[in-house]
Amino acid sequence: MNRKNTLYLRRRFVNGFNLTLSMVTVAFALFFLGWILLTLIEHGFGDISLATFTQMTPPPGSEGGLLNAIVGSLLMVAVATLIGTPVGILAGTYLAEFGKTGWLAPGTRFINDILLSGPSIVIGLFVYELVVHRVGHFSGWAGAIALSLIVIPVVVRTSENMLLLVPNSLREAAAALGAPQWKVVMFVSYRAAKAGIITGILLAVARIFGETAPLLFTALNNQFWNTDMNAPMASLAVIIFQFAMSPYEDWHHLAWAGALLITLLVLGLNILARALFRRDVTHG
Amino acid sequence: MVELHLAKPHDIHPEDFQGTQMNTPNKLLVRELNFYYGKFHALKNINLGIPSKKVTAFIGPSGCGKSTLLRTFNRMYQLYPGQRAEGEILLDGRNILDKKEDLNLLRAKVGMVFQKPTPFPMSIYDNIAFGVKLYERLSKSEMDDRVEWALKKAALWNEVKDKLDQNGTSLSGGQQQRLCIARGIAVKPEVLLLDEPCSALDPISTARIEELVHELKHDYTIVIVTHNMQQAARVSDYTAYMYLGELIEMGDTDTMFTKPTRKETEDYITGKFG
Ligand SMILES: Nc1ncnc2c1ncn2[C@@H]1O[C@H](COP(=O)(O)OP(=O)(O)OP(=O)(O)O)[C@@H](O)[C@H]1O
Ligand SMILES: [Mg+2]
Repeated sequence: MNRKNTLYLRRRFVNGFNLTLSMVTVAFALFFLGWILLTLIEHGFGDISLATFTQMTPPPGSEGGLLNAIVGSLLMVAVATLIGTPVGILAGTYLAEFGKTGWLAPGTRFINDILLSGPSIVIGLFVYELVVHRVGHFSGWAGAIALSLIVIPVVVRTSENMLLLVPNSLREAAAALGAPQWKVVMFVSYRAAKAGIITGILLAVARIFGETAPLLFTALNNQFWNTDMNAPMASLAVIIFQFAMSPYEDWHHLAWAGALLITLLVLGLNILARALFRRDVTHG
Repeated sequence: MVELHLAKPHDIHPEDFQGTQMNTPNKLLVRELNFYYGKFHALKNINLGIPSKKVTAFIGPSGCGKSTLLRTFNRMYQLYPGQRAEGEILLDGRNILDKKEDLNLLRAKVGMVFQKPTPFPMSIYDNIAFGVKLYERLSKSEMDDRVEWALKKAALWNEVKDKLDQNGTSLSGGQQQRLCIARGIAVKPEVLLLDEPCSALDPISTARIEELVHELKHDYTIVIVTHNMQQAARVSDYTAYMYLGELIEMGDTDTMFTKPTRKETEDYITGKFG
């Protein structure tokens, strides 16, 4: 091999060029991410105190915390996850394991892709029409339903992809023992894809924690302590939206605190998902 | 070469095996079997008998259809739309290709071990218990006994008896393959299909598995696909030579390896071709 070979030089140049380009883009993305995090910590850190977790959202001009918003978020996210996860996993299972022929699987996949990339405000309006309008009032249930519509496509997609990563040889081996298909799926495919599916759920949870648009027309907001899903419900995202847009100084502080809380939560969920997935990959 | 394409092995009648070559009855009888991957005609009018409680080896160059034929015996192909078989395969006289035959019961009777080890992502113990639980209700101690029995048969017991709760995927490749064999025999099938079970194994593990095959044939009918002529000669009682989707010749292994009837078989076995 001649090192002066033009083909070789060209390849080296292209390689170096691409490497530099990708490093620049990584630095660019990381720069803004770091900036956002820094700003959040700078503003939000001083505003988080014990009161943030023990007191309700205050009227303008008085002291308060975010307790009702935190609890509201947790409740609605929990219900949305409970609704969205089984539906998503089952649909993903159908796509990956059963729908080998016919139109149902490709059709579902297509619609799911649309849902996945659809703007969440549309989902909020849809649930407003479907639930809030019919029932006559805003409620935690409506919020949870709207959030679950965001969970479902994410979980469908990740479940399907993770199940498709399970080698067919494993399914064949289980089928070769005489296992009916549902047992193959339950005991072999799910086990093999477990970490990936859980990762998908965690990422979906992280995503809906920060969703504001679907809650604006469904759960609305609530200044008071409320665990009744049938009544309007506060959430961190909506509170941040409302408080940050307001002209009041102390509301701004609470908005920063809420923003930092959500970010830390999402960050934590992402790290957890990553750790889970990594552990499973290295330990077979 | 032209001759090879024209070779018509159809004058082999399964009935003949029973009388002339084999003094044991046929466990499996294949009659005019054709197999298609979509439009591709992969098996062409196969007729042969698999004698009961003997080891039958399938040999032939890569791509000739050995795995395809093996996978019709437990209808493995049916997992994939677009693959289909025509003809008859009689297992103890019943046509298993009949749509009415229960697929899962058939597979419980006809076990299979694949070329690549396929341990399930669960403990060593559960790897074996999984299949047993499908068709039998055993107490904990009976299950323990069965797991031990299967692992001993597969010559793996001594290596894993202290770590039965470890993940099956944590074993070495050779151990994984023996685990898969243990899993296959734990359900006590009647027929065991082995598709190149030793191709990923070292000589010691290979020797162990060959010994195992020898021992297992007292209870099971075994069909083994192998690329290794010596292995075919060592472990099998009967050998079938396939080429381009056709069965060229089948006979008892000694005859096949010393004086095969067909020139093609001789060329392949002696390494002149393939
Ligand atoms: N899933 C498939 N789809 C389409 N064609 C296939 C498929 N599997 C196998 N074939 C074709 O069928 C023929 C027989 O394949 P088969 O796997 O049975 O060969 P083999 O004798 O087992 O070969 P090897 O010794 O390499 O394992 C080959 O021509 C192959 O290309
Ligand atoms: Mg093969």
